[in-house]
Amino acid sequence: MSGLRRIPWALVLVVAALFVPALGSRFYTFVATDVAILALFAVSLNLLLGYTGLVSFGHAAYFGIGAYATGILMKKAGIPFLLAFPAAGVLAGLFALVFGFFCVRLTKIYFAMLTLAFAQIVWAICFKWNDVTGGEQGMPEIPYPDLAWMERLPLAGQLRTSDHFYLLTVVLVAACLWVLRRIVGSPFGRILTTIRENPERAEFIGVNVRRFELIAFVIAGAFAGLAGGLFGIFNRGVFPDFVYWSKSSEVLIMTILGGIGYFYGPAVGALVLLVLNQQITSYTQYWPFILGTILIVLLFAFPSGIVGALDAAARRLARPRRA
Amino acid sequence: MQRRTVLIAILALLLLVPPAADAQKPIKVGFPMPLSGPAALYGDPALKGAQLFVEEINAKGGVLGRKIELLARDSKANADEAVRVSRELILKENVDFLVGTLTSAEGPAVSVVAKENKVVFIAPIPKTDQLTAPDKLHPYIFRVAATTTMEGRSIAEIVAKWNVKRIATISFDYAYGQDVTRAFVEHIKRIKPGVEIVDQQWPKLGEADYTPFINAQMAKKPDAVFSSIWGGHFLTFSKQAKPLGYFDAIKYNLIGAGEIASPEATKAMGAEYPVGVWGNSYDAFYWQDAPPAHRDYTARLSKFLKDDAPSSWSIQTYMAMQFLVEAIKKAGSTDSDKVAKALLGLTVDTPHGKLTIRAKDHQANRGQLYGQTARDPKYPFAIMKPMTYVDPTKFMD
Repeated sequence: MSGLRRIPWALVLVVAALFVPALGSRFYTFVATDVAILALFAVSLNLLLGYTGLVSFGHAAYFGIGAYATGILMKKAGIPFLLAFPAAGVLAGLFALVFGFFCVRLTKIYFAMLTLAFAQIVWAICFKWNDVTGGEQGMPEIPYPDLAWMERLPLAGQLRTSDHFYLLTVVLVAACLWVLRRIVGSPFGRILTTIRENPERAEFIGVNVRRFELIAFVIAGAFAGLAGGLFGIFNRGVFPDFVYWSKSSEVLIMTILGGIGYFYGPAVGALVLLVLNQQITSYTQYWPFILGTILIVLLFAFPSGIVGALDAAARRLARPRRA
Repeated sequence: MQRRTVLIAILALLLLVPPAADAQKPIKVGFPMPLSGPAALYGDPALKGAQLFVEEINAKGGVLGRKIELLARDSKANADEAVRVSRELILKENVDFLVGTLTSAEGPAVSVVAKENKVVFIAPIPKTDQLTAPDKLHPYIFRVAATTTMEGRSIAEIVAKWNVKRIATISFDYAYGQDVTRAFVEHIKRIKPGVEIVDQQWPKLGEADYTPFINAQMAKKPDAVFSSIWGGHFLTFSKQAKPLGYFDAIKYNLIGAGEIASPEATKAMGAEYPVGVWGNSYDAFYWQDAPPAHRDYTARLSKFLKDDAPSSWSIQTYMAMQFLVEAIKKAGSTDSDKVAKALLGLTVDTPHGKLTIRAKDHQANRGQLYGQTARDPKYPFAIMKPMTYVDPTKFMD
């Protein structure tokens, strides 16, 4: 057991993920890119939901801002990805700072409603501002970043542009997750957990709760923005639907489904929800009914999420051997 | 224990079971269309129209000796999802062609996917000019719906015959509303220079309270109004406008774009419909002086939908599938490059008569039915009487 624990599983998974294009199916690469990006989006939400105990109903706002930022910079201004990608995080973070400033002044349901209100304002702007965002029709044809240099890499030479973009996505998402992991493991992350457990007590021992909540809000927003920046390119276009409340609820479902008590829980939730959605919609047009039923069963059967249930199962299997 | 059973059940569900390979190798057509939410009201009959055509052609042995298989996916009326399902259809199901999309946001978004994957895409319903604008046009995109320009100009042609001078407009403030209104205003000024645009109101899409817009418009005393408050929104609008005396003030000289006179719309509004206003529709099952093929088509559709008053939306996808199959026949191949070439200048005998996809802009010369609404004792809802098919060929750019 301890031997298994010493293996850096996350690293193994990243390396394994890099070999998905080698399977040769464009479809697998497509699904894997989608999962990787939305996993980052869901994990960024979990910094608020699972670690700080803040329920945000408007997390799609920062995802969308990041997508529009990268999209507009790359398509209209011709700025390279190297600058346009970090810009997504910075801009989303700045918006999170402004909106968060007001949101953290409220608690519980009022906090959630205000995050939703801000997200809907962002949506309205994206939907109406035809000259900049393309309005209702969005901005199709975001160019792929220039990845021709990847052709010189060993093994990656024969791959398509979408495969190259996938490799880039895996590396960037892995880097972002690593940073987030470091953040939640740091003393700062511990304070966030303290705030989640008991904000009054945290305040009592001298923690500036609002300020820490605001910092968490900005970090979560910035990483959601980075996920959005990647998603706009992957999706070959940025649309106002990215910012709509239904996107916020989708990521909330992913996070809760995977398990908010585990760092990688939301990533598993993203994988499960995407694959379920993909499979069910290709078999029946009554997918909302089937998907809804499955989600209800999952949430009832695994109140601590899928990862929580797997964790419990693993423990139960391990116990008799130890005894 | 129970939990483990559930877990196993879910893992089993998650296994990617590839759809069984068909020995006959049908021609696969991907069909992204809104099939849930409010837009399903139109997406559903649109799917049925295509299904009717597929059933008919397969009964005759298909095309090139192969059957047609329609793979419908729910685009949820949003561009993001339409792109996702279209790429899934191409990458996973290996569809040969795409037919579908409903909104003006979905159409251009899927067009990009078609271009990148070099798959012929026929749009049956989206009207936005941008779909086939010169800078967006590519070899694989085709459209059998009217454009916003054609719709706006058709209405201008009708209004030009009215004895009115002071014209006002009311439209939603977004791409479709702006484009169709601009096309109307430009064309009416060109063909009837005496008219004056006295007022333009721009409520936001899905506005709940039209009162301020209605009052402001009435204050300018227009003789006639051009509206593009479409579909179900027109119900909300007319419910609020009637008690304010809006329709009486303009003597019911209102003409609406966006299918407000379709059987679906008048049926939905029932007794509340402001009978006397003008509107348009893709199709009308009660069309008296229609081409003979139309009567036959209506009877088949009526049987297929088990509805005596069948939908007016089905015709669009029926025509799109007709064009696709004729092009496959002409090309003698299912290769997208060859079919795309075959579609250029292709003329097809549709239930609404002969239509041609122009080589210049990949756009069919598709008109719509326009008419004044009236009550008819035969139906419990308003119909267009008289009604004419406005052929846009002479005023297309």
